[in-house]
Amino acid sequence: MLVRFREAFQEFWRLKVSKVGVVFLMILVFLSVYVVTSYPLDFGVRYWNNPAYWADYPKSAPPSWVNYFSDQKLPEHHVFIYNKPSDIISTESGRTLLYVFRLDFQADKSPTFISFTLENLTYYSDPLVARLNVTRPDGKNIELYRYIAPAPYAGESPPYKRFYDSPKRISITGDISVASVLARFLLREYNVSIKPSEINSIGQHTIVFSIPGPDKEFYVLKGEYIFMVSINTYDSRDYVGEVKLVIGGNVYGFMGTDSLGRDLSIGLLFGFPIALFIGIVTSTITTLLGAGLGIVGGYVGGKVDEVIQRAADFVNNIPLLPLLIFLAFILGQNMWILVFLLVAFGWPTLTIIVRSMVLQLKSSQFIEAAISLGAPRLWIMFRHIFPQVAPFIFAQLIFFTPTFILLEAALSFLGLGDPTMPTWGQILEYGFRSGGIYVGLWWWIIPPGLLIIWTAITFVLIALGMEPVVNPRLRRMK
Amino acid sequence: MALLEINQLKLYYKTLRGIVKAVDNVSFDVEAGEAIGVVGESGCGKTSMANAIIKMLPSNVSLYQGRIILDGINIVDLPEDEVRRKIRWRQISIVFQGAMNVLNPVIRIGHQIAEPLVIHAEMEKEEAYRIAKEKMMLVGLHEEVFDRYPHELSGGMKQRVVIAMALVMNPKIIILDEPTSALDVSIQAQIMNLLKKLKKDLNISMIFITHDIALSSDISDKIAVMYAGQIVEIGSAEQVLLSPKHPYTQKLLKATPKLISEEKPEFIPGAPPDLINPPNGCRFHPRCSYVMDICKEVEPKIFEPEKNQKVMCWLYGDKT
Amino acid sequence: MGLARTLSMRALTLVAVLVLVVFFMVIILGATGTSDKILQAMVNEEVMMLRQSLAKTIKDPQELERVINIRKQELMEFYGLTKPWYVRLPDMAWRVLTLDLGKARTLKTFAGGNKVSDIVIERLTNTIILVTSATIISALIGLVLGVRIATKVGGILDRISSYMSAISYAIPTWWIGIILIMVFSFLLKLFPFGGLYSAPPPSDPYLRFLDLLWHSVLPVTTLVIASVGVWIYTTRTIVLNTAQEDFVNAARARGLPEELVRRRYIMRVAAPPILTNVILGLATSISGAILTETVFNWPGLGRLFYDAVLVMDEVVVIALTYIFTLVYVVARFLLEVLYVTLDPRVRY
Repeated sequence: MLVRFREAFQEFWRLKVSKVGVVFLMILVFLSVYVVTSYPLDFGVRYWNNPAYWADYPKSAPPSWVNYFSDQKLPEHHVFIYNKPSDIISTESGRTLLYVFRLDFQADKSPTFISFTLENLTYYSDPLVARLNVTRPDGKNIELYRYIAPAPYAGESPPYKRFYDSPKRISITGDISVASVLARFLLREYNVSIKPSEINSIGQHTIVFSIPGPDKEFYVLKGEYIFMVSINTYDSRDYVGEVKLVIGGNVYGFMGTDSLGRDLSIGLLFGFPIALFIGIVTSTITTLLGAGLGIVGGYVGGKVDEVIQRAADFVNNIPLLPLLIFLAFILGQNMWILVFLLVAFGWPTLTIIVRSMVLQLKSSQFIEAAISLGAPRLWIMFRHIFPQVAPFIFAQLIFFTPTFILLEAALSFLGLGDPTMPTWGQILEYGFRSGGIYVGLWWWIIPPGLLIIWTAITFVLIALGMEPVVNPRLRRMK
Repeated sequence: MALLEINQLKLYYKTLRGIVKAVDNVSFDVEAGEAIGVVGESGCGKTSMANAIIKMLPSNVSLYQGRIILDGINIVDLPEDEVRRKIRWRQISIVFQGAMNVLNPVIRIGHQIAEPLVIHAEMEKEEAYRIAKEKMMLVGLHEEVFDRYPHELSGGMKQRVVIAMALVMNPKIIILDEPTSALDVSIQAQIMNLLKKLKKDLNISMIFITHDIALSSDISDKIAVMYAGQIVEIGSAEQVLLSPKHPYTQKLLKATPKLISEEKPEFIPGAPPDLINPPNGCRFHPRCSYVMDICKEVEPKIFEPEKNQKVMCWLYGDKT
Repeated sequence: MGLARTLSMRALTLVAVLVLVVFFMVIILGATGTSDKILQAMVNEEVMMLRQSLAKTIKDPQELERVINIRKQELMEFYGLTKPWYVRLPDMAWRVLTLDLGKARTLKTFAGGNKVSDIVIERLTNTIILVTSATIISALIGLVLGVRIATKVGGILDRISSYMSAISYAIPTWWIGIILIMVFSFLLKLFPFGGLYSAPPPSDPYLRFLDLLWHSVLPVTTLVIASVGVWIYTTRTIVLNTAQEDFVNAARARGLPEELVRRRYIMRVAAPPILTNVILGLATSISGAILTETVFNWPGLGRLFYDAVLVMDEVVVIALTYIFTLVYVVARFLLEVLYVTLDPRVRY
């Protein structure tokens, strides 16, 4: 048995497709293991499908490496986070905490937004006051924003904790008070008069990062920008947990983002274990069930066989996808239900083939010998028949896997995917439904499709490599 | 002059392992109305020879030469298209081995029989069908078989259909390649009787190819024994069967079970030779019990120890 | 004789499949409470209409309520809502079979009606246009190339086609469609993004037809790309196997011209098994159509399916599941009629 296995493996390994397939599979498994061990289990609900989590990410941003291929350099996305102040100045009323963010800006377009976030503000006497200042490369300074932490409620006693659970996000872009500040700034420094509402539509971030021309056009100002958040405290015990400044870019990360700002590389990575899981688990259960019923039907015969045959014929005669859609729609979108449905519709093909193989085996001499020796039926099925059909069944298992991966993707694409976990099909579905394909967001559309194909091809290659092992007629021809 | 003269016919195939010398210097004549049996073990080149006679060459043929003279024309040199139009079925027809699978499963029997008439003789359909039905009666098939499909017929009926097909153009020669090997013994006898009747009534020449020397004795006037792509002995049926000269023929006859005899059938030691690397000298020498030194070195010439009985064996001739 | 019997047996089996599928659907609907929801919606609809018409004649609000409540009770009785779901299984099954499912919640016909049967039926033609033209094109390409490749086994074309058919097994049809839109509609602006006609559609019938053709190029191409590899490969394999049969050689020995041998002895015999493959691929073409229509906003049954799922219109989903099964069963039967006429061996 062991020798046979080794021979079979050598036969398999001789082909180039097998090697490529196995290497691909190892990469897939490695990535899946990485994801399973490093991602939280509730990733889908807590992060992926939670828009608040992605608020500080640029929307529909292509991958940052597109800058290498274009003349116009798009701004990168910058997130600055400080847990401790970079400087502390003591004054007579208390201390001022300074957070300094330096940004060397060399892109040809201004950023897409500016926001800053405060988390866990604790004060004991007067509310904290935070200011955001920017010093531009031309030396001009603008105080963009002033924020006072919410005052104590009636009956509240110190310490007053603010934004402990969820941080306070202040968007400079879109803030009308900032627009007024900038309007005054433009008038004072450049003698350009623009109404705050107009600034609001141009974008506050654009004004900050550029110099106005005579006809209200804006030229990007390159160089070092120094953003400074200063927070006045009035008690020595006052505390600031975290200060975050985000200068929204037009490109993001290695894979870009979708229209909600979700980092696609994270979502795409999460798709690996799910695709493999659905493909392999469904295929394994389907194959075992299908083959088991085929062996039992073929070997036992009679009424049992009749029932199995009728059922297989019935399932084989119905169009799969419409019924899958119906059931996924009525029963709900859940991965386990999906696996169950795929198994329920997948088993007959194998049952029919295995049954005919068993019928042939049944009349062979070694089975008749075993029967005449009085071996029990189950024993014969497991010890004598199963090993004979096992290589074929195993090859079918591999061969079925891509079918299920593609079916899951198709259902997800139709909006029937499990909403608690992102899959490649769902990422594509959202890209399609939100119109990403009509505006050419290729980084959103192409990678998930390629990953589906890659995963499916991996199994096709392995199946191709196994064919000469399972089908001895082909082996001899080589 | 003989009806068909085969002289020094060679047919070699190219395969991955090397050149297969399937037919190597085969010569014999077929007279009008004569049946010649070709016997030999399987894989000795019988079927290749049959194909070579009507120039049905496989795509991997590497050498095809010699002379097959019919009516003064050498088929070997005739262009494929002319062989197709002038020779196949008009002059020489063939009944292939394994009748089960030589009929087109989706065309009615009658159409298949009549088809060559329409194509070669450019006959009207009705006329062709009439002749086809005639031939079917001749081979003992009921007329209603005409509209049936092959899968509706038994093995014996199919074989009759195939024979009727072979007769439909009134060819001069019919090659029968193991015509009965796939049939039950009782059906086999029926078909043999039919063939004998046809031979007598139609005065048609037959080349009867079989591995069963007893069967061939039933119908043949002349018998040729083939071994490893060569004819090692040829003579009248009486000569070959009653006084076989070649050691191989002798062994072959001894290997045939006999009904009224105390003799036990013997089997021939060793395996049939590899047609890619045949033994040097006489190809039979590794299995021959009379082997001499010369047999291992030099290919035997053809000797004629009795009139019209030719043998390719050093036992019968001048060894120089 | 055998022909009619074989066909009626097949027809019976397929009808049984259809009925079983419907019963299966109805059981699922009943057990999940969905059928109650649907029937309740139909009752509410009638009650609402009744209220509107009665409001003109009965002025006393209490009296109005009373009359309506009586009527509502009658309707509940009529639709079987007072009985448990398994009692009204046959009734519900009959409703599905006759498409008597009331009104769609949000989806409408092109003219604005919301009767489920109307919505479904007016889209059927568009799906049939798409699927049949794609199938015919794939079949033509597949047959021509498959036969050509079969004569040159092991050649470059052969290897390309076998790799292609393996790869096409791993590529989602709908993704091909998306890529085609990105390349040919967004990037090159050669073809429309989707739909059946331009808006507004040309009034001249000839131009209208050209407009339809222009809109169908990408969806048809998508379906063809998805299925042509398999067509080529199976044709090649079947033709190759047939060409090696003894009867082909025997036909050549009869001196029949090569052209006739190829046509009558190879292609004619290879046709039924090739057709079997078409029959087996039918379910796949239907899936392909659902997804392709969705991608190209092709107003057929497939796109309707997507829309119905999107807006949670369960009656339409039910009707479509049934219609797809029906279309499948009918198409399969037609192909099997063809198969039985082509292959005398199965006429028993």
